[in-house]
Amino acid sequence: MVTTRRNSPRASLAATGLFIGIAVALCGCKQGRQSSAPNQAQTLPPEGALNSLPLGALAGGARLGVPDNIANPLAGNDEAIAAGHQLFMEMNCAGCHGYDAKGGMGPNLTDKYWRYGGMPSSIYNSIYAGRPQGMPAWGKALPPQDIWRLVTFIQSLGGTVSATYYQVGLEGDHDISSVAPEVPHSLGDAYLPAGVAAVTGSGERLSAPTTSPSQSP
Amino acid sequence: MNCSVAARLAMALFLSQLYVPQAFAASDSTVPAASLAPLTALQSTSASTAPNDPAGEWHMQAHDYANTRYSTLDQINLSNVGRLRVAWTFSDGAMYGHEGAPLVVGSMMYVVAPFPDVAYALDLSKPGSPIKWSFAPDPSPIAIGKACCDAVIRGWAYAKGKLIYNLLDDHTVAVDVKTGKQIWRTKMGNVENGETMTMAPFVVGDKVFVGNSGGELGKIGWLAALDVDTGKELWRAYSAGSDQLVKIGPDFKPYYDWLKGKDLGISTWPADMWRTAGGAVWGWISYDPDLNLLYYGTSNPSPRVPVQRPGLNLWSSSMFARDPDTGAAKWAYSFTPHDQWDYDGVNENVLLDLTIGGRRRKVLVQFNRNAYAYTIDRETGEVLVAAPFAYQTWSSGFDMKSATAIVRPDKEPKPNIKTTDVCPPDIGGKDWQPSAFSPKTGLLYAGIFNICMDVTDHRQSYISGTPYDGMEMTRQAGPGKHWGEFMAWDPVNGRKVWAIEETFMTMSGALATAGDLVFYGTVDGWFRAVNDRTGKVLWSQKLGSGIIAAPMTYQGPDGRQYVAVYAGVGGGAMVSKAMPGFPPRGSTLYVFSLDGDSVSTGLEMPTTEGGSTSTQNDNSQTGR
Repeated sequence: MVTTRRNSPRASLAATGLFIGIAVALCGCKQGRQSSAPNQAQTLPPEGALNSLPLGALAGGARLGVPDNIANPLAGNDEAIAAGHQLFMEMNCAGCHGYDAKGGMGPNLTDKYWRYGGMPSSIYNSIYAGRPQGMPAWGKALPPQDIWRLVTFIQSLGGTVSATYYQVGLEGDHDISSVAPEVPHSLGDAYLPAGVAAVTGSGERLSAPTTSPSQSP
Repeated sequence: MNCSVAARLAMALFLSQLYVPQAFAASDSTVPAASLAPLTALQSTSASTAPNDPAGEWHMQAHDYANTRYSTLDQINLSNVGRLRVAWTFSDGAMYGHEGAPLVVGSMMYVVAPFPDVAYALDLSKPGSPIKWSFAPDPSPIAIGKACCDAVIRGWAYAKGKLIYNLLDDHTVAVDVKTGKQIWRTKMGNVENGETMTMAPFVVGDKVFVGNSGGELGKIGWLAALDVDTGKELWRAYSAGSDQLVKIGPDFKPYYDWLKGKDLGISTWPADMWRTAGGAVWGWISYDPDLNLLYYGTSNPSPRVPVQRPGLNLWSSSMFARDPDTGAAKWAYSFTPHDQWDYDGVNENVLLDLTIGGRRRKVLVQFNRNAYAYTIDRETGEVLVAAPFAYQTWSSGFDMKSATAIVRPDKEPKPNIKTTDVCPPDIGGKDWQPSAFSPKTGLLYAGIFNICMDVTDHRQSYISGTPYDGMEMTRQAGPGKHWGEFMAWDPVNGRKVWAIEETFMTMSGALATAGDLVFYGTVDGWFRAVNDRTGKVLWSQKLGSGIIAAPMTYQGPDGRQYVAVYAGVGGGAMVSKAMPGFPPRGSTLYVFSLDGDSVSTGLEMPTTEGGSTSTQNDNSQTGR
């Protein structure tokens, strides 16, 4: 059973069902895909591997019951950082957030203050679904791997918080600088798509690649 | 002398500075008024006072159709301005940049806060000017992320018992000034596509004129006329596209040949790029009731990467003279055709009558962002004077025959290459902050900038609702290292008469009065009164935030003259926010009077009765 902050067992089951449904819908029943081996940690996973990611909560809408602690599967990947930087320019992110990402029409993405959350999943959701003060919804325009590339670039700027920060928030005020670097929550593996291993920024693999979309809750 | 005498002397000197009413000028470098003799000639310069509102009131942002921002009130004058003190203040609670000036009609004052655009009516006849009503229009917060330059409101208008203003999310709203209830609201555009509205509506008779913002997001610019009573849209003239869209017809007679031709709003752009042309109408409007012509300017072309849009890019960075009844264009002029630096053309056009070359002429004067001050015949569009008022490197001169500046090739931005020391920067030698005119001196007064930029262009794709921009810039002060300057300008000869250098930007509007004073504010929060002939600072007061609004003056129901200005930094002044000492945001209106007197003066205020204890005995404490 997956333990999350708020969900009932039934909701978790439903969420997992939804996840499977989405995974099936988006990438077909692709099982047993090739995983990225440790010595290939600096290359990107195959395109289809990142299709099936849980959808975030829409701004103001109901949460789908997915925990915020999912890690960025591309965190620290140099190729992803470079690709994300290029997307940042080409999709006009720089026009609102500044060429140095320090803000302008849109907020500063390099500081520690996040209107809508600074965890990788929050930033993913902000890009995917848009936000109330004029942030466009890119989910229809950008495939998930491109959104994760943007998240990776933003993480490389130093202002984001770890996927484990939600736990810190439960415990009260905490100095962000002492929060652990990006480490996927052990339960987060259940939410990684098939064939993708969780890795740290230095490429060290943290868990064995999964062979099916999820472990059962 | 010994130490204690020296110390006492130093203290005496210090204290003597405090009590002399020449106060805390940021700099002593006033340029002396080199020759006062020409002022006699200049004093034949005049301006219409239409629509001749009551002298003690302030019914429109620019005070009058000609945009003089001049008041005939002189109770506050050279002899007593040192006595100005705060009479009362009002915070509207919104922290975005405050750019507008209060309106005073009768004994009521009307202000509108920046986003979320709440309007307040303050009763000036009562102590403390309490709120009589407020109106919360609830605009969409999407607009915050589509406003290029802060979620500001640049002003509001009054007409026929209605307070009329634009919401950031593209609605124009009219509010009944007696009740604070909405009378009409008209949707003018779609904010999701990147269009916003920040400008102050301008009323002539039964029509209110409004325009859009969005030149940084690829929105094509427009000016529209609405019926004051119903809000119904009567006409809309675009800043690019076919002659039909631009409302160019048989009456259109531009002065210069390069502005003549069919559908120049299409042909001066690469294929179809006129649809994302920019040319937004976010600045000021003026009106000549004798010629029956409206005057206003258009913003930069879009994208802000010139190599993507070869051509003159008409009618961006230009100005129009239009018939207010039909919108038909009578003439147009482009200040910076194929604008490569975001210089725009939206700054105020002050309508003056003056003598040039022995001839009496009806002119307008615009301090353009491109650092040239233009004196233009407002009947024909002929440029009579074009002279730099601020430091500039983008041009090597001005060709009067074609009325175009001569561009320096080494200051033309190119993609992926940094072009350095481009002056003025995008925000110009002067931005939208409006100037004022004094008929007593014949001079114009304006806060201007001394700023340069390094710019690297990045090619842009157009994605609706996102910036269509591409200018990566750093900005720094120009020669002398001061960012701002407040100056007096001679529009006949095209020369600066005096100037006060300021460390911080001078982005407030100017106010001129018959008391021989001009008022302005700085981005670090100093509000100053100046001798309008000599440029000597006579009084200064530090306010709670930087000042980017226009000051105004009125006579209260108590017969006293007041001067009012908002202190709430934001808007374009944020380009200098890295300066040490840059102030935080503010939301407060400051109202000044002689000795701080107001309706409250002399009234008994609540007091405690003498002799009574203020607390009960504390019986919980033992042993006391």
